[in-house]
Amino acid sequence: MASKNVIPRRATLRSFVAGSLLMPAILSELLADEPLDRTEHPLAPKKPLFKPTATRVIFIFSNGGVSHMDTFDPKPALLAADGKTKGVGGGLSNQQRVLLKPMWDFRPGGECGTMVSDLFPKLREKMDDVCLIRSMRSDDNEHANATLAMHTGSLFFSRPSIGSWVSYGLGTINQNLPSFMVIASALPYAGTQVYSNDFLPAYHQGTRLIPGQEPIPNLKARTSPRDRQRLELDLVGELNRRHWATREYSPDLAARIQTFETAFRMQTEAPEALDINDETDETLNLYGIENKNTESFGWQCLVARRLVERGVRFVEILDGSSSSNWDQHSNMQDHAKRAKTIDQPLAGLLADLKRRGMLEDTLVVWTTEFGRTPGVDGHNGRGHHSACFSSWMAGGGVRGGLAYGQTDEIAATVAENPVHFHDFHATILHALGIDHEKLTFRFAGRDFRLTDVHGRVVRELLV
Amino acid sequence: MVSADEEEERKAAIELFEKKIRPVLVERCYECHSHQKGSDEGGLRLDTVEATKKGGSSGPAILPGDSERSLLFRAISYSDGKLKMPPDRPLPDEVVRDFRRWIEMGAVDPRTESLDSTVPPHSLDAKQQWAFRVPQPQNVPEVQDERWPNSDLDCFLLAKLDESGIQPLGSADRYTWLRRVTFALTGLPPTMEEMSDFIDDPQEDASEKVVDRLLASPRYGEHWARHWFDVIHYSDTSGCNSDFPVPQMVRYRDWVVRAFNEDMPYDRFVRAQIAGDIVAASLPHPTSQADRNAWTIATGFIANARRFGSRHGDYPQHLTIEDTIDTLGKSFLGISLACARCHDHKFDPISQQDYYSLYGYFHNTQYPWPGIETQPTPKDFIPLIEKDRFEAANDAKQARQKTLDKEVKRIDQLRKDAKDETRAELDRQFAEAKQTADAHAKRPLGIDFAYAVTDKGTREKVRVQYKGDPNKPGPEVPIGTPSALGGSVSDCVEGSGRLHLADWIASKDNPLTARVLVNRIWKYHFGAGIVPTPNDFGKQGKAPSHPELLDDLASRWMDSGWSVKQLQRSIVLSKIYQTRSVGDPSLESNDPNNILLRGFRRQRLGAESIRDSLLAMAGALDLKQGEPHPFPKQQDWKFTQHNPFKAVYETNLRSVYLMTQRIQRHPYLGIFDGADPSTSTPARNVSTTPLQALYLLNDEVVHRMAEKFSTRVQSWSEDPRGRIQFMFHSAFGRPAGDDEALTLEEFLASYRGSGDSPQDENAWSAVARSLIRSNEFVYVD
Repeated sequence: MASKNVIPRRATLRSFVAGSLLMPAILSELLADEPLDRTEHPLAPKKPLFKPTATRVIFIFSNGGVSHMDTFDPKPALLAADGKTKGVGGGLSNQQRVLLKPMWDFRPGGECGTMVSDLFPKLREKMDDVCLIRSMRSDDNEHANATLAMHTGSLFFSRPSIGSWVSYGLGTINQNLPSFMVIASALPYAGTQVYSNDFLPAYHQGTRLIPGQEPIPNLKARTSPRDRQRLELDLVGELNRRHWATREYSPDLAARIQTFETAFRMQTEAPEALDINDETDETLNLYGIENKNTESFGWQCLVARRLVERGVRFVEILDGSSSSNWDQHSNMQDHAKRAKTIDQPLAGLLADLKRRGMLEDTLVVWTTEFGRTPGVDGHNGRGHHSACFSSWMAGGGVRGGLAYGQTDEIAATVAENPVHFHDFHATILHALGIDHEKLTFRFAGRDFRLTDVHGRVVRELLV
Repeated sequence: MVSADEEEERKAAIELFEKKIRPVLVERCYECHSHQKGSDEGGLRLDTVEATKKGGSSGPAILPGDSERSLLFRAISYSDGKLKMPPDRPLPDEVVRDFRRWIEMGAVDPRTESLDSTVPPHSLDAKQQWAFRVPQPQNVPEVQDERWPNSDLDCFLLAKLDESGIQPLGSADRYTWLRRVTFALTGLPPTMEEMSDFIDDPQEDASEKVVDRLLASPRYGEHWARHWFDVIHYSDTSGCNSDFPVPQMVRYRDWVVRAFNEDMPYDRFVRAQIAGDIVAASLPHPTSQADRNAWTIATGFIANARRFGSRHGDYPQHLTIEDTIDTLGKSFLGISLACARCHDHKFDPISQQDYYSLYGYFHNTQYPWPGIETQPTPKDFIPLIEKDRFEAANDAKQARQKTLDKEVKRIDQLRKDAKDETRAELDRQFAEAKQTADAHAKRPLGIDFAYAVTDKGTREKVRVQYKGDPNKPGPEVPIGTPSALGGSVSDCVEGSGRLHLADWIASKDNPLTARVLVNRIWKYHFGAGIVPTPNDFGKQGKAPSHPELLDDLASRWMDSGWSVKQLQRSIVLSKIYQTRSVGDPSLESNDPNNILLRGFRRQRLGAESIRDSLLAMAGALDLKQGEPHPFPKQQDWKFTQHNPFKAVYETNLRSVYLMTQRIQRHPYLGIFDGADPSTSTPARNVSTTPLQALYLLNDEVVHRMAEKFSTRVQSWSEDPRGRIQFMFHSAFGRPAGDDEALTLEEFLASYRGSGDSPQDENAWSAVARSLIRSNEFVYVD
């Protein structure tokens, strides 16, 4: 080690002219032969505790509270009781109101015959790959609290997001891209908290990708041509080398040098990941990108596939935002408009992953913050309802074709096999080979977990 | 199965117990007959069902259904010849009647505590945990090399190194020390002039002059206030789902800056933040309104607690109080009290009763209402003028409102009675009058307010909340401070009693307060605390590396008047503070993590210092203080959880003055490990991410500042060498070596030869950007 403290003879001119030749040399000099525990990048891939059935996650969140009885949870009894019987209703499930019938017919999908409403005709065809949960539960009827809970396991307090926990637990495969990325055109309820690393180190923060001109902040080189930026970086490298050489070995200095190289490569690698020009027309159609209605969400789904394909560990897709979403208090018909924007892309994503052989080890999750009330709200809408709702998973070792859990006759409460959001989280982590009780982080004198002191792995959902 | 009637009767009996019996037992009997108080006179305990049934040395205390033969009743009704309880004065007649009725109804007792569970955990061994004993001055240890230490502080450190056979490192050069101490005390780099003044100063007290200059600089208070804001999770917004702005919070911000700059004694700093409003009210005449206001504004510490949810009807005030208690525990006492909200603390001597005893202070405190989705109008802020003037202004506004409303009514009546031809004109007049009246109602009083607290005027007792759920009340507890930590029941008869709490914390007898603060200051100077867990001095925290040093510093510091500046002065003028930075700590096998501090610990600059340095180098830093944030006008607020308040205000002020939102991270601070605005941050994360590198590569601010810097450089000198020296001094706080200057000259030549725009200023900007990105810029040795 001592030999490295000698300042090598100055040979910089060549490096400035030769551009990037210098940096890799310095890096290898800085990083070679060091014991692994000292130089290991905090995002280096880590081995899960047990054999995982999935190695990456696409987590899709529909904002606003998607009605379960109008989408994935058929309730014939609710049809019959329309306008007659009273049940839980109003804005926050806190009143007794006359019941409102589901607005769409249900039909069986796939060979398994799982019933799905006409809001999702394309997704319905994929039900053999989908493991549906009809007995989800949460604990709060406010959007922000319920959204936070579905992401962090906490209703009120800021905690790390599930994507940050997975990044912390498993690291990531491609060091040139962040481990946890969130594709969101606008912010959800509870804002950036839903993809925050909170007390986990900042490496695990969700990097938000905003569809449009500049999806990742500062990705576009401000110095042109690229040679010049390279020259500047080489000067930084030279300054860093001298700084480092006159000090004793220090892993944090070396790590920081490395991030500039990653950032330099990200400038080209990330735009490549986001550039869908090399996709075939057939693929673009599969995601509905040629169609105005589905173009935007389709782009999110396709880019999600491209990111996990390139080794990003956890990708979240946000459908809607805190101001435009599934929150239909006065007119349920608006659910049809929302469903039209995501049905084809969701079905396309599952089909595309499957034919590429990626569905086997990619866990696709779709969820929302809560369901909606069986009783009416407003003129023709439904209120917030956390007592029960539907979600689904696909791929990555979950049982396709299964419809798990039941709600009561009017979909007001869970009747059988409840899956609380803590259970949901525990199950996702389990598929990734992580024991939710063992993935902990010490903060403020306590070991914190995604599932707090709760959570049950719902093994029935897994192969 | 019990019948419905029986069930009703039982409910009534429980209600009677909870309302009339339990409070009396707690207040008048537990003192001598409960385990918690460590007292069971006559062998009798009345604090659990079992114990009460069992009775004492004279036999069972209660025979359910038979009050006349129940010893307890005979004693409290003073009808027994010998036994008269309570001995000091009898209970009121109606209380005695309540007890009779309760026993006649079967003495139903719903208490669930068992004999054992009422024992406060670890109360007996509280004193065995080092941090719960009051710190004492220590004997200064002997050291081998008596010439080395500058002070007692150095002796404590050197003695430990001696024991392990480790030599302290040699001194850092003068440039390194100056840059180190300047960043540590002010968060800014030294200027060219400050460097040459110190380097050229041959006198022995050159270092002392520097330290005194830095401590007297207004930049000092700004920098140290920011450390305090980390600890108390300062925010300019409320934290509810809509994250309402709190424009008045900056008054607290500025108060903290001033407190550090004026070197307010720390005990006073504590008392002001917990009970400043109560102190203000008790100040003798004549005290200026400004002085009173300062005390009041300080309670912004409490008001700063996070707000939750979107609704006002069932607002979860217990969560806001929990945030207050959590922050209070972590910041002043270095213990996590919040654990005891749902159950007795598993590791530290804080019982659930203790937690709710503390809760009582804040339950009786009026928090300001910053606005929330369903009730967006702020209220209960504290007016910063004399009470009578405030009332007069308020009355005047109400009176004017009355007149305006009357006028609206009058015109309304007129137009209802009016004929068609005058109707249109009256409609117009009505609309106009209505608009005027509504606008008046919305108009603020034109008075300055503080986001601060005051006493509610109540003295309500509080109950334990089972599992932290306010809907599951348990036994009533007295308001007070934790007994295992030398606390006591508050004997205040009216108001919240917060002054009692403040006095307990800001006391020389409190074992934690001084140690925790001394340790924080130490941590900010040396990169790690003597106790490595600054917010946790309990059993879950880590043990101190130098317990005698910590205790000696803490006890002497209190005795000499709690001066934070004096404490810092002694630290930065120590010998150890002069040592070189340790590079690879593992090279010393006896102390591979440099816990014994044989040399300085290299530290990365915090987000604020990186930004402030960048602005300072560019000559763009605006040193104005006390600026408000450009929030939208309160009359225009329409924030909801669907469209929460969200803003980033560009400014060239110091980073401590950046608008900080509770639930939205500031984009820059989020990337560079800024403090978490929703919970106490005892130590910043130090992460190294590509997003930070991308920021320094491509962000517009970095490029703009680099250009300004290069403009300054070019006007500094015509000579390239002179320019290079200026740049190295500004960015690294030291001169460039000859070979470094050569490297830069070669770079300039290469850069001019590349690309298609060979202008000179581009090349100098490129050098500036490279210096900003380099490790030496962001690390302090």
